[in-house]
Amino acid sequence: MWLIFTLLAKLITWSVKLTGKGSGYTFPGYLILKIYPNILKRVTYEKGIILISGTNGKTTTTKLITHLITKSGCSVTTNSSGSNLLRGIVTSVLLDTNILGKPRGDYGVFEVDEFNLPVVLSQVTPKVLLLLNLSRDQLDRYGETDIIFEKWKDALSTLKSDALLIADLDQKEFKELPGNFKGKISWFDSASRLLHHTKLLGEFNAKNINAAILALENLGYDKDKLITLLPSFTHAYGRGEFIEKDGKKYQIYLAKNPASFNHNLDLFLLGHLDSTNLVFVLNDNQPDGRDVSWIYDIDREKLAKVCESKRVYVSGTRYLDMAVRLHYAGIIVNEYNIGGDLSNILSKPEGHHITVLPNYSAMLETREILMGRKIL
Amino acid sequence: MKLNIGYFYKDQLNLYGDNGNVEILQYRAEKRGIPVDVKQIGINTTSDQMAVLNINMIFMGGGPDSGQKEMYEDLISSKKNFLMDYINRGGVGLFICGSYQLLGKYYQTADGSLLEGLGIFDFYTKHFGNHKPRCIGNAVCEISPRILSDPLFLKINGLGGNLVGFENHGGRTYLNKDNKYAPLAKVLSGYGNNGEDGTEGVLFKNCLGSYLHGPILSKNPHLADYLIAKALKLEDLPPLDDTLITLAHTACIKLKK
Repeated sequence: MWLIFTLLAKLITWSVKLTGKGSGYTFPGYLILKIYPNILKRVTYEKGIILISGTNGKTTTTKLITHLITKSGCSVTTNSSGSNLLRGIVTSVLLDTNILGKPRGDYGVFEVDEFNLPVVLSQVTPKVLLLLNLSRDQLDRYGETDIIFEKWKDALSTLKSDALLIADLDQKEFKELPGNFKGKISWFDSASRLLHHTKLLGEFNAKNINAAILALENLGYDKDKLITLLPSFTHAYGRGEFIEKDGKKYQIYLAKNPASFNHNLDLFLLGHLDSTNLVFVLNDNQPDGRDVSWIYDIDREKLAKVCESKRVYVSGTRYLDMAVRLHYAGIIVNEYNIGGDLSNILSKPEGHHITVLPNYSAMLETREILMGRKIL
Repeated sequence: MKLNIGYFYKDQLNLYGDNGNVEILQYRAEKRGIPVDVKQIGINTTSDQMAVLNINMIFMGGGPDSGQKEMYEDLISSKKNFLMDYINRGGVGLFICGSYQLLGKYYQTADGSLLEGLGIFDFYTKHFGNHKPRCIGNAVCEISPRILSDPLFLKINGLGGNLVGFENHGGRTYLNKDNKYAPLAKVLSGYGNNGEDGTEGVLFKNCLGSYLHGPILSKNPHLADYLIAKALKLEDLPPLDDTLITLAHTACIKLKK
């Protein structure tokens, strides 16, 4: 049966990719879960499963842990596509199997959508669980963080005490975790010592790196050796990634909620980013949440300061809403530099360095326009 | 002349972008050369302190359950008298979502228990439990005839008679049916107060309650200007360049529910 599932998954992904109807990282899992809803319960990896959840930083941290483990000589099965609901994890598991259907990785390293963490934990027993942070995102779909955190606590209380929890020291709600989890908790902070060994920028990435290193140290990896592997790590897609097109260099920073948007503004204010062309892309498609009110939780003063003396462009399905937000932050928005046609707006800047701040589906569309594919 | 905005419980009631309403009021007043002072009214602010602030505009938003729990006792014990007096004397205020609900008679939770409100507005709110879906989505409403026919509104309105926004609430609000001028607006698309009777928000003297986020004033500049002019007892306001905002307002009218 298992072998049939793996073959089926591979066949579906292959046909989805062939027809160009999508990336094929979600649908096989979706279909197989209909037939076998508890399929993940029987999946094990020799050295264990590492899960990464939280509002921001999942994709980068998952990629970093995968990088560090594989460079240290072990193999990893992971959902690097960022398809992080149950169905995405199932797809990643089934696709990375050998011809007999046996999972290939020594480790399973999966990012998990914060809202889906409880259901994933009901099927998967992680060796290590990283809880990166929790902040507002897609309130119309996910509801308040209070509600998500209550569900996390219930799910954590069912975990065995041999699981290890890695959690953010600065997130004030996380102080309640010890009361809800029987096992060991290791806390990471925002110190920037390790950040300097990477190409990544910003305090939020310092936290992601500290979390990844702390997790692997707890699994017996040598910290000094791990640090030597940090310089060769490259950005996850859409998270600081550079793409060149028509002689222009675009850098994409996913900005999908108030926290990630403000973090990205900080990169400019700290002088890490200095391009003079700034493209904001705001969509309200299904994966983004349909409510765009959150753009008023972007720090007005930071926004105004970053846009000062820059050429500002706006696109996305809700470009007018974003333009109005900029207007109310005192930024002069030129009507010729805004519009719903993303490809046209991306081609407008005349300078060589362009920074793009898109929300989720806008990031995928930006990549498709600039490099011909949405995800990997 | 100065716009003194009393911004209530910013730390507790700060749901998704509603603080933008204060930013927008400030922006639109200052563009007309009207100085603005935003005064934070928090859990520690006493009624004596509030009395000397010369507040002529109140804004209160909605919050997560934890935030509303934090401020509820304080609202009932040390802000009620001030708010009742302010509102009944015709003070201008904007109350969104959670705070709108708190100004009604009571809020009935899913398990049937009653949470007492300030009782300033003539309505109650009921949460039917999770089997009844939350009211979530884009909304378009037609502003109450009481505002539409106000000579002040006729003078400053450059946009039309609609409000646009995004609603996201579990509680359903039922206005006293005997008062036909009570709703702020009539729902054209969306849920409004309860998804049943076509009403949205409440209008009482010079105070508005509404479920609309967006924030509400971001794409409804006519409403923002109406509040500013009312608060300062002006007969008119010079127009601003609202080209972008008008385009955004019009685009929002066409959004899918």
